[in-house]
Amino acid sequence: MKRSVTFFVSLGWALIASASPAALENCRGLAHHGKRAEARACFAALERSDDPFLRAEGAWGLQKFDAANEQFKLAYNVDRNQAEVRTEWGLLFLERFNSADAEGLFKEALQVDPKYTLAYVGLARTAAGNYDERAVALANTAEAMDSKRPEPHELLAFLALEDNDEKKATIEANAALAVSNESLDAMAVLASIDWLHGRADSRWPERIQRVNPIYGEAYSMGAHFMEINRRYEEAVKLYRLAIALDPDLWQAHSELGMNLLRLGDYTEGKQHLELAYENHYRNAVTANAMKFLDQLPKYKTYPGPHSVLFLQQKEAALLKPYIQPELERAIAAYEVKYKFKLPGPVRLEVYPDHDDFIVRTLGLPGQGGLLGVTFGLVVAMDSPSAREPGAFNWASTMWHELSHVYVVTMTNHLVPRWFTEGVSVHEETAAGSPEWGDRLTPDIVQAIQQKKLLPVLDLDRGFVRPVFPEQVIVSYYEAGQICDYIADKYGNDAILGMIHSYAASKTTAEAIRENLHLEPLAFDKEFFAWLDTKTEPTVKNFEAWQKGMKELHEKKTGDPEHAIALAEEMKKLYPDYVEPGSTYEVLAELQEAQGNKAGAQAQLEQYLTRGGHALKPLKKLAELQQQMGDTKAAAATYAKIEFIYLEDRDVLRNLGTLELDAGNSAGAVREFEAVLALNPGDQAESHYNLARALAKSGQKDQARDEVMSALEAAPNYKQAQRLLLDLSR
Amino acid sequence: MRRGVARSVSRIAWLLVAILAVLPARAATYYLTISGQGGLPEYDTLFAKYAKDLDTALKAGGGDPHTEVLSGPKATRPEIEAAFSRLAGQIHDGDFFALLLIGHGTFDGTDYKFNIPGPDVSGADIAKLLDRIPTRQQAVVAMTSCSGGAIPALTRKGRVVITATKSGTERNVVVFTRYWIDALQDPAADTDKSASLSLLEAFKYADRKTVEYYEAQKLLATEHALLVDNGANAGVRNPGPANGQGLLAAIFPLLKSPGESAKAVSPEKQKLVAKKEDLEARIDKLKYEKAAMDEGDYKRQMSALLLELARTQAEIDQ
Repeated sequence: MKRSVTFFVSLGWALIASASPAALENCRGLAHHGKRAEARACFAALERSDDPFLRAEGAWGLQKFDAANEQFKLAYNVDRNQAEVRTEWGLLFLERFNSADAEGLFKEALQVDPKYTLAYVGLARTAAGNYDERAVALANTAEAMDSKRPEPHELLAFLALEDNDEKKATIEANAALAVSNESLDAMAVLASIDWLHGRADSRWPERIQRVNPIYGEAYSMGAHFMEINRRYEEAVKLYRLAIALDPDLWQAHSELGMNLLRLGDYTEGKQHLELAYENHYRNAVTANAMKFLDQLPKYKTYPGPHSVLFLQQKEAALLKPYIQPELERAIAAYEVKYKFKLPGPVRLEVYPDHDDFIVRTLGLPGQGGLLGVTFGLVVAMDSPSAREPGAFNWASTMWHELSHVYVVTMTNHLVPRWFTEGVSVHEETAAGSPEWGDRLTPDIVQAIQQKKLLPVLDLDRGFVRPVFPEQVIVSYYEAGQICDYIADKYGNDAILGMIHSYAASKTTAEAIRENLHLEPLAFDKEFFAWLDTKTEPTVKNFEAWQKGMKELHEKKTGDPEHAIALAEEMKKLYPDYVEPGSTYEVLAELQEAQGNKAGAQAQLEQYLTRGGHALKPLKKLAELQQQMGDTKAAAATYAKIEFIYLEDRDVLRNLGTLELDAGNSAGAVREFEAVLALNPGDQAESHYNLARALAKSGQKDQARDEVMSALEAAPNYKQAQRLLLDLSR
Repeated sequence: MRRGVARSVSRIAWLLVAILAVLPARAATYYLTISGQGGLPEYDTLFAKYAKDLDTALKAGGGDPHTEVLSGPKATRPEIEAAFSRLAGQIHDGDFFALLLIGHGTFDGTDYKFNIPGPDVSGADIAKLLDRIPTRQQAVVAMTSCSGGAIPALTRKGRVVITATKSGTERNVVVFTRYWIDALQDPAADTDKSASLSLLEAFKYADRKTVEYYEAQKLLATEHALLVDNGANAGVRNPGPANGQGLLAAIFPLLKSPGESAKAVSPEKQKLVAKKEDLEARIDKLKYEKAAMDEGDYKRQMSALLLELARTQAEIDQ
């Protein structure tokens, strides 16, 4: 969201500025009309006023922010009962990236004067900046207090459009224009609606320029709406127009820079971010992006047939042999499935430091839940090493993001968030691997119990402005289930049809009508009936399951037969539960303790199939499969573990050995090279294993080099000596 | 500069060869494992388990080691002193003796203390007990919190001192112990594939696993193991030729197999063993000269030596 657009009041202005409150309105009026030189002179005159409040406003108008702050401080001390001083000072803080102090001052202003509308507007803007759902309620309060001011209407229009509620946005923008026909931000909202619909002939830009010929903020606002709808290339175009109108619009330079980074253009992106930073536009996003850019020399690009990998050099030797083929496999699969060829290579950026990934994508660290983000043909994601082992499946994340690449590109970004997320979750399982995708977690079970799932036409709200902490996760699940249901009942062509409908600028209601041939409400009814049937055993018995699981974990060490019977019962109630302490793990442990290895193996195989992703039980499964002589299954399990975590040397080595024994020397070479890329403590064995694999694949010279490396580390390593002698014959 | 380094490490290489030559072929190895007071039942159980697992691993490693364990309520000061008295009567010069401490340690800014039931033993107390053991080949592995604070008291020329923490201020329970025990069981710890495990190999294995544990869990490391074996007052994180640490640890066998000499009975085989030992010494020397050599030249010479060593070993094994 474009946060620092100054909300100018649309009052008349006088030609001659003098050091009085009326003079302040004159100055604001000049600025509002884009008469920058005159406005500067006017604000300079204000700066010489006897009144510290006017001096503060003068300094602010001249962008002397520190001086303005000092003068507001003086004004605050002169008259502690003025709501206006607090509110204006708060707006200065808000513009200068300090929402906490701004909020405090707005609240103080309302203590002084509970009916001071602009303080409510300030509070609403602060909340809006944090995507806080209270923003709308606060703006409504302001509007109810004084419907004759444009600001509450302007903000409500802005917030409505953020929620994709164009109807309400239009009503509020028109309400603002009814109060002041020069409301620039109301016109900017209306222009944004036109731009979102691709209407190049919008009348609003011309009307805006008639009021203020250098009002770049209007384009900047439009760019913001493009950005939150993930239409980054169009956002870039609009930011460029904003800067063309007003080259000193540093906020637009910063946002343009960030969006260029998102699209993979680091050179120009850096230039704009630097320009913003040097001109004191140093919000957290800009400052973090500058720090991130300092990290770039550590990265390198690795082109493939249809992709470009961007990896940190220190982990490229490990990651590239795994990620690149999987990326190419996903592109090939989606190309067939979506009957669509991408216009260029996919750029996949992989970040070992989660904060780098987040700063590169959003500008701010601390978004712990995000794993990957797609910007057109550019995907950025966490590296397998960015999180603790078992925390996420990098391959399913990559397939998820690749689906976005296709859907977003095919629709020219004209796709609602719920649909593209839903298709991506669906494809993790449908196109990727059956055990991937979202599972029915306890949070989701409770949301279903409490009827918190949203109708399809409102589902975007669950992503953009969640009203309970788990709503985003619940919305991912619901969207994924909707797409599963559509594919299941109506076929994949219905999904494809909806993509084409969105590409033709159709709404969700129209896309449903065109492709599923029913009304959205009817769709909701049949989808929820399907979902209820599917989830009923778990939802209905959730409390019994919770009680049973508590008992199971408390009494696990008691009578094993009772524990096994209880765990089996709990498993039936909630088979999708694969989080820590799952019935599968408990049963495997109990059965192995009884000497029933085959039973333990079967439990862990179910755990894997259901989407279990913790490393310990999966490694145990592979070990049991090997012990039971099922080396093919063990190899498959190790390969699945590698999709979750690539830095486990035991997994790589064991799979390498299994591949070598199975005659897949190329596969073994990859695994043993990966072990070496992790700089293992046991260099001798690692080089020796690679030498064996290379020798088997006929690469004698490389094998000899590797065996020499093994012997250099351990000269008396007998197996390596024998291999050397073999290779030297 | 590079040449200077190469010369000094080369001297160290020859010193190592000399030390190896004077080691008695049939020296016995003695281990005393003490697991201290846990303070909480779960730690009492854990430390006792560690001590038991460690003892089992030492016995399973072959080489007929002499092991003794003092655990939990038995790990009192009188019992510890009695154990040292017994061992002082059994151990001869030339034997190897390792003291393995498991549990909690404390540090008051001056003295390290190992927590046991009753009065604790300080680093200085432990040093005095070690001095009573009549062999120069001693090691103490302090796998406790704050153990880095014990180095000044324990260090002595000829004694290998390993601590799980770098100072007395790293106060958390250590995971180093777990990986030390793993080192005795994981063939990968034997990095020179000698079928023996040296103290240095065990240290490097456990240290690496500890570092990886904290990295993988995304936790700030609260322990940093150190080793000192040249009598210096401070330990190092990466013992090696560059800092002159690790020479004694490299030849201190934690787990050992019978050597070739014992098996080589015929005069022909004894000649081959002598040739092999000469090749090994030349390989070691070449490795230490690597930094000052042309890469291609080094590779050629090393390849020739390694191939010759492999052929010699094949002849010995016939």
